[in-house]
Amino acid sequence: MTTQDNPNGRIFILPQAIKTVARHAALQSYGVISLAPSNIAESVGRFINKDMDYGIEVRSDEEGISLSLNLIIEYGLRIKTVADQVAESVKYNVEKTMGVPVKRVDVNVRGLRISNPD
Amino acid sequence: MNSKPITLPSEAERHKLIQSPLDGEGLKLLFEAGLAWLTTNQQYVNSLNVFPVPDGDTGTNMVLTMQAAIHEADNAHSTNVGEMARTFAQGALMGARGNSGVILSQIWRGFSRALDHYDTMDNELFMRALQEARSTAYKGVVRPVEGTILTVLKDMTSAAEEAVQKTSKLSEMLAVIVEAGNASVQRTPELLPILKQAGVVDSGGTGLYFIFDGMLRLIQGEPLDSSATLVKPIEELDLANTMETIEEGQDYEVVIDFAPKKDFSLESFYEGLSEIGTSIQVGEGDGIFRMHIHTALDKRYDPIAFTEKAGTVKKIMMENLQDQMKSRAAEEEKLKLEPVNPGDIAVVAVSPGLGLSKIFASLGVAAIVQGGQTMNPSVKELVAAFENLPTDKVIILPNNKNIILAAQNAAKVSVKQIRIIPTRNAPQGFAAMLRLMPDGTLDENEAAMLEAISEVHTGEITTATRSVEIDGVQVEKGQVIALFDGKLTDSGATLEEALEKLLQQVDMGSFERVTMFYGEGLTAATVNPLVDKVRRQYPKHEVEVYDGGQPHYQLIIAFE
Repeated sequence: MTTQDNPNGRIFILPQAIKTVARHAALQSYGVISLAPSNIAESVGRFINKDMDYGIEVRSDEEGISLSLNLIIEYGLRIKTVADQVAESVKYNVEKTMGVPVKRVDVNVRGLRISNPD
Repeated sequence: MNSKPITLPSEAERHKLIQSPLDGEGLKLLFEAGLAWLTTNQQYVNSLNVFPVPDGDTGTNMVLTMQAAIHEADNAHSTNVGEMARTFAQGALMGARGNSGVILSQIWRGFSRALDHYDTMDNELFMRALQEARSTAYKGVVRPVEGTILTVLKDMTSAAEEAVQKTSKLSEMLAVIVEAGNASVQRTPELLPILKQAGVVDSGGTGLYFIFDGMLRLIQGEPLDSSATLVKPIEELDLANTMETIEEGQDYEVVIDFAPKKDFSLESFYEGLSEIGTSIQVGEGDGIFRMHIHTALDKRYDPIAFTEKAGTVKKIMMENLQDQMKSRAAEEEKLKLEPVNPGDIAVVAVSPGLGLSKIFASLGVAAIVQGGQTMNPSVKELVAAFENLPTDKVIILPNNKNIILAAQNAAKVSVKQIRIIPTRNAPQGFAAMLRLMPDGTLDENEAAMLEAISEVHTGEITTATRSVEIDGVQVEKGQVIALFDGKLTDSGATLEEALEKLLQQVDMGSFERVTMFYGEGLTAATVNPLVDKVRRQYPKHEVEVYDGGQPHYQLIIAFE
């Protein structure tokens, strides 16, 4: 959980809210086909809860938020560039909408989708 | 970094390009032309970059991706169009830089797949290649955002689908595609609100348009290496900047506003001007053209006579450059910079105006690089400023957010230990300088300076160059706007009104000192009455005013 002070009290931002922003940014990023469940609980959970934001882990401490994304990427793209771009876009969008610094974005490429075999 | 200069094909080669189906060599020529024209317009494309992350590198990324592709194609000696496209796409994939580069690589990948196994390409195949490029590019994203490079590609492909029915000439087909591309680029702000808010068109889409426009220009025999015939909006004419380097035979600067005649041809206008002088720029706004030229002493009246033939002259401005440069040079020499003790920390400051430079000099900077909002110094200029100083510990104060990146790049190419304090304006730069401990360590200095810049707040007053809405403030072009810590706070019709509104919005109670630096074009006589008024309104504050000499910003104000 991330907290900020304001003149009237405190603001709490729950990981779920950050996940939603990160997920949206990731899926808008070119080359990202989908998120992938990062653990067994998520793999199972997504069949029960269709709206579950799987594939994104959020941790936070005083220095800021750390995110870890599990992605499926389109085959035939330069993976490193796609991953760099996703990380940058997620960081930018989370910082812009939440106003909290993102100190780290890890991208795990869990698989590739081949829609255009060459 | 620069691509090799492209030589225009001879008449015969061009004729071949136009008449016969395209082979591998021909396709490569087209790609090279696309890259050359994109490179020429790279900075412009960079300047449009606000989506998805506003980092101003779209043009550069697309150029680097295209360069990688051409480089790969250089090694392929096939005249087979499919083979050429395949190596080209391969190169683009390997060299893809940035989001726009990845999409571009995907476009060429689809494009090349359609050409596979073909020796030559006719219009029918060209259209199919674009269709394949479109479908491949769209497959790479699950939530495509319209108003981007993808939209422009889609619209160009639709145009090609129609054109193929009507013409079998590549030149005619390309003309239709380019026209549709341009129209599509112009529509992007309607589709993507963030573009409209920032008052720009999509950068990636514009880059793609330039690539195809470059191909068309090659076929039509138009130049690719200079944006000479590109008409810019008047406000983009960087007239102040052309002053920096004047050469032999550039004695006078002549600027003429005119309303062109009906049969006005930009091409022949340029051609005529290029015989009279150099540094030619032509801009357009609301039907009025503005032309700018440097001429020799004996030719200083020629541009006027020449422009009169092209239209009705509205206004003429003429300036003796040599004289102006002399007085400027004389003033700059007066800047006394602090000599650096070997091994001590040297500070390099980027300063947009002479007055601000003098203050930096008095605070003890070791070197000053001229630069500001629209005149970013190059990495080379930055490196040159500190490379010969007798120390390997350097701190750079960029004093503008647009220059931070160049400073970082300068740090990368130098072997010295360099720290960049991300100062976004001159007051932050001054605050940082006040904490300089030349014989301390870089870490100590960096920490102290970072702390200092977080404590100073800055107001800026400038004139809006376009109508936009940002942070909920609606601004019309030409209005005077006030910014506080980089955020637009209010606007007004006059400098006085904008200043008053700015001070109302600022929590004056939390500051003790207000220091103003007035910009180029203003004088103490015009500013002093405003300052006196501020002093009366805020009697508890210390209000100081200095000649800053910076362009674009009428006032830069430090709040402490």
